[in-house]
Amino acid sequence: MNRRQFLAAGIAGLSATTIGHWLINQNGTPAATLFSARSNAQGQHFACAWRLNGEPVFERQITQRCHDILPLPDGGALFIARRPGTALYRFSANGHLLHTQRASADRHYYGHAVLSQDGHWIYASENDTRDPGRGVIGVYRLSDTTLSKEAELSTHGIGPHQLLWLPTSGLLAIANGGIRTEADSRQAMNLGHMQASLVLLSADGRLVSQETLAEPKNSLRHMAVAADDTLVCGQQYMGPIEDRVDLLAIKRPNQPLKPFPVLAAQRQGMQQYTASLAIHEQQRVLAVTLPRGNRVQAWQLDSGELVLDQALPDCAGIAAVEQGFVVSSGQSRCRLIDLQGATPRISALTLPAGGWDNHWRLS
Amino acid sequence: MNTISCMMLSTLALSTTLALTGCEPTPSHADINQALVSELESSYQAWAESSEQLAKASQQFCADKQPLDSLQTQWRTTFEHWSALQPAQIGPIAEHNRAWQVQFWPDKKNLVARQVNALLQAQPKLEQAHLEQASVVLQGLSAAEYLLFDATIDLTENSQKTRYCGLLSAIGQHQATLARTVSNEWAGDTGFSALLSKSPNARFADEQESTAELLRSQVSGLELMKKKLAVPVGKLTRDIVQPYQAEAWRADASLQSLRAGLHTLRTLWGNEHTLGLRNLAQGQAVQALIDQQHLRTEQAFAKLKQPLQALLPQESGRGLLNKAYAELVDLHRLYEQDLARALNVQMGFNAHDGD
Repeated sequence: MNRRQFLAAGIAGLSATTIGHWLINQNGTPAATLFSARSNAQGQHFACAWRLNGEPVFERQITQRCHDILPLPDGGALFIARRPGTALYRFSANGHLLHTQRASADRHYYGHAVLSQDGHWIYASENDTRDPGRGVIGVYRLSDTTLSKEAELSTHGIGPHQLLWLPTSGLLAIANGGIRTEADSRQAMNLGHMQASLVLLSADGRLVSQETLAEPKNSLRHMAVAADDTLVCGQQYMGPIEDRVDLLAIKRPNQPLKPFPVLAAQRQGMQQYTASLAIHEQQRVLAVTLPRGNRVQAWQLDSGELVLDQALPDCAGIAAVEQGFVVSSGQSRCRLIDLQGATPRISALTLPAGGWDNHWRLS
Repeated sequence: MNTISCMMLSTLALSTTLALTGCEPTPSHADINQALVSELESSYQAWAESSEQLAKASQQFCADKQPLDSLQTQWRTTFEHWSALQPAQIGPIAEHNRAWQVQFWPDKKNLVARQVNALLQAQPKLEQAHLEQASVVLQGLSAAEYLLFDATIDLTENSQKTRYCGLLSAIGQHQATLARTVSNEWAGDTGFSALLSKSPNARFADEQESTAELLRSQVSGLELMKKKLAVPVGKLTRDIVQPYQAEAWRADASLQSLRAGLHTLRTLWGNEHTLGLRNLAQGQAVQALIDQQHLRTEQAFAKLKQPLQALLPQESGRGLLNKAYAELVDLHRLYEQDLARALNVQMGFNAHDGD
């Protein structure tokens, strides 16, 4: 299989695997399984699956701290180590560790991966530590119980982070964070010369576009996409706290990347750091967690009108559910944000409090 | 208050915790949170009043109705009230970058001086609206300190007074408005005090979340206080002292600030007669450890008989400062690790070590 075929396998009809089917059923009983990485106060790391109603599915100790999770077609999930981690943990739906994939020599993961629509291929963002920061997409074949690395592609950038399929066009979006780090380090080497970019690759692996932000010290990290391909990127600004910098950028279909308008009060609440993003497809609402600002904010995706600016300490993972969003926290109890009424209603979920890592994935 | 009486207690199988309290009613978690919240609300109120006094004093000085030293004294008082809130940066002040509007530290590149001069060059007749639109660097006590205490500015000279008074008055007004707004947001049935002390609500799901936020604000405050001493004594620069990187070095108010923060921390910790966080650690080893460490830290600071800028050039002075720093480190560790564990509070996770 050549490079073109690798990506082409991933493109067709992606929306079903990347967005949607995150629903709580009509009587309010949460049927969805949520996957997340968690850590405890002793610094031990876990791969977890819970039902939103508080029923545990599994919680298994793992050696490396993971970041994002990729739900798999068999009901299990792939837990992806954050930088400079070197493990992909594949768990079955009931929490059996099926396979641990080690990164190739001179590579480490960045905590994110996507799955092809046919369910056979996984693409993970990786660092080529021989040329620290050079972004690589590791291409893995997914078999019944294991993974095997088959090829690599370039991310056309430095320090890649999240990857995301655009469901309508079938393009692959890559958030190149722009920061060089070495093999065993989380220390940025190039804060004076960062090169962050949003890259879109076509189905045959060609570079379609590469766009940058106005501020060189603004690092692209996470993204969320709507069914019409409207893509929002969340940034982490590596410059001074007093600088006035746009931390959200939007790329509407066939338009250039530009700042998503945010009022000064919300921008100041971000503390120069966005974490996870989610889009509620039906409500056309974008929500962002801001663990340094200890806030969750949400806006109408199309008008930019503010929907929510709510305090939640160390908020982390966020996912869309029928009523609105569910949000996790590194410190507090998790919340349901119900956006169906005239004003948002916040309630605590019956899940364990604290220790939740950056991303929640519902399946 | 919890109304468990001695009689009721005598009929219960006494837990260790209850036995240690003898026949005193055991304060409930809500009582303890309420005690902390009342203390914080009055501290914010005191800061707001002092900030209003600073605005008034600035106007009177600029109208030639008050001498410079009175205004300088008022700045010190306001700064002390602000510093007292250092381990209490919780709620309204912790939102929307408000704390940066009060104090800009660390100022590694001397931005305060540079931006003040750039602003006055662009706006020689500065009005309130100009300051409101300007950087946070210019809006707070740090910029006022530069105007009032910098060696290159002599406000007793008429030309300089004319040059700087617009900015001085605007800062005073900004601080008064900001501090009053923050203080007001603590008050009332829907204010932050009510949220903290009466859970569940949209902000706090239970009493534990309120306690956790209270503790985290104290740990963050201690972390910053450590840094405020570590930087000038050279802990981050191989023991090369950095007098001009100290907090409030122009007014030489660095130690005054740390003492005010420590005083608040001690008050919120409580003692045998007043409620505080220590009641939540009743019967646990950490309670006595923190009692002792507060005492040791106070003793180390009591030995600092001169201001920071006088102590830094002396070897003996640096020795005393290093000792005070070591005590702060121990105090911080006890709060961040031992107390957090005892109270089952998770410290920073994604915010401090995210991706």
